[in-house]
Amino acid sequence: MAVNKNNVKIHVSHLKKSFGSLDVLNDISTDIYEGEVVVIIGPSGSGKSTFLRCMNKLEDTTAGDVVVDGVNLSEKKININKVRERVGMVFQHFNLFNNLDVLHNLTLAPVDLKKASKEKAREQAIQMLRKVGLEDKVDAYPSQLSGGQKQRVAIARALCMNPDIMLFDEPTSALDPEMVGEVLQVMKNLAADGMTMVIVTHEIGFAREVADRVLFMDGGYIVEEGTPQEVILNPKEPRTIDFLNKVL
Amino acid sequence: MIQIVTNYGGLLMRAMGQTLLLALCGLFFACILGMFFGLLSVLKSRACNIIASIFVDVIRGVPMIVLAYFVYFGVPYCMNNMFGIPFTLSALQAGTICLALNCGAYMAEIIRAGIQSVDKGQMEAARSLGLPYWRAMVRVVLPQAIRTMIPSIINQFIITLKDTSILSVIGFPELVNSAKNVVANTFMSFQTWGIVAVMYLVIITLLSKLAKILERRLNRGR
Repeated sequence: MAVNKNNVKIHVSHLKKSFGSLDVLNDISTDIYEGEVVVIIGPSGSGKSTFLRCMNKLEDTTAGDVVVDGVNLSEKKININKVRERVGMVFQHFNLFNNLDVLHNLTLAPVDLKKASKEKAREQAIQMLRKVGLEDKVDAYPSQLSGGQKQRVAIARALCMNPDIMLFDEPTSALDPEMVGEVLQVMKNLAADGMTMVIVTHEIGFAREVADRVLFMDGGYIVEEGTPQEVILNPKEPRTIDFLNKVL
Repeated sequence: MIQIVTNYGGLLMRAMGQTLLLALCGLFFACILGMFFGLLSVLKSRACNIIASIFVDVIRGVPMIVLAYFVYFGVPYCMNNMFGIPFTLSALQAGTICLALNCGAYMAEIIRAGIQSVDKGQMEAARSLGLPYWRAMVRVVLPQAIRTMIPSIINQFIITLKDTSILSVIGFPELVNSAKNVVANTFMSFQTWGIVAVMYLVIITLLSKLAKILERRLNRGR
């Protein structure tokens, strides 16, 4: 839970992103510190997901800088794969590899990138599955899992690369309501372990409970940011108040 | 009928062997061409996409019989008379080139569609773990794409096997060409062509059955 203000993990300054003539991100600047849990909320189309995807270069930036662990993603000559090894990502639609069973979903990247031998990767995979409560599903295929189980496997898969930072792109939005809790619980445990996390979500209650800082985005800007106390319980900006009234 | 089978059965079987040989050679290179141009058409590079689509459009836009004449007669003529380079192609070589080009173009389209049918999220997830593009392609996207491609690929194989008959026009001794000779000798068109039709039918039915088994095996665990 301890946020280390001396260590900036992700530095974002004047980030802009356009798709053709559509400006999605207008002028985003913020720093994310080691051990910090940052939750991004905001209406659809506000640029939350795009912002998150800029943090591991799934989207190229149009202008401005995104610096992850000292590597500026806007520069051409960086090895993005090295950066991505340290930045785990969890998607709204899980994106488990459908052609592989759970074990190989988890060991594919560590073994392929020679981070671990097959045996070590397997051991670690089972340990991570235990962490998310699914060690009995090692041999299952993604199609045999429920949504909540898929998402927990996806989290375990990201953790197998031993990332310093975890990005979550609406991890519970595609789940049945009764499965949201199990995924949020895994994320809470991860936050308690001190993982640096950036989470895009519509779960305001979760944000209140787990976030060190909440960013409210609208129209490609960060409209308001602060502790959950400030942003969720005592919002100042009219747009934040309006949004929270609609979702709470 | 029996007379044809006893007198020309061996010849027709050997011709069937030649048909299969030609189809196999053609398909082998068609797979390589198809894979190459299929991958070119899904790369993010605009230039690669254009090269792939030109290949597909040109080959698809020319009837195979024209392609066969062009490759077997046209190209050597051009080499010999316009460039003065002595150059000939055997009927097998020309036939293989024709089949490879023709089937390769359709295979490229099947492979492109197969790769594009795999959800974008699969590639993104693999890349987000730090896998380079080609590793992600080989380990995650292609295995899934191939499963959806299999029925179309088998279908294309069968079409190509039948297309070998077109190459009788350049004198390759495959089944149709040999059957023509049998008819010329015996004047028994009905019997000869009937036998030839059954021969194609048997081979293709066997192939289809084999394909079904293969398909079922690949889909296990899904």
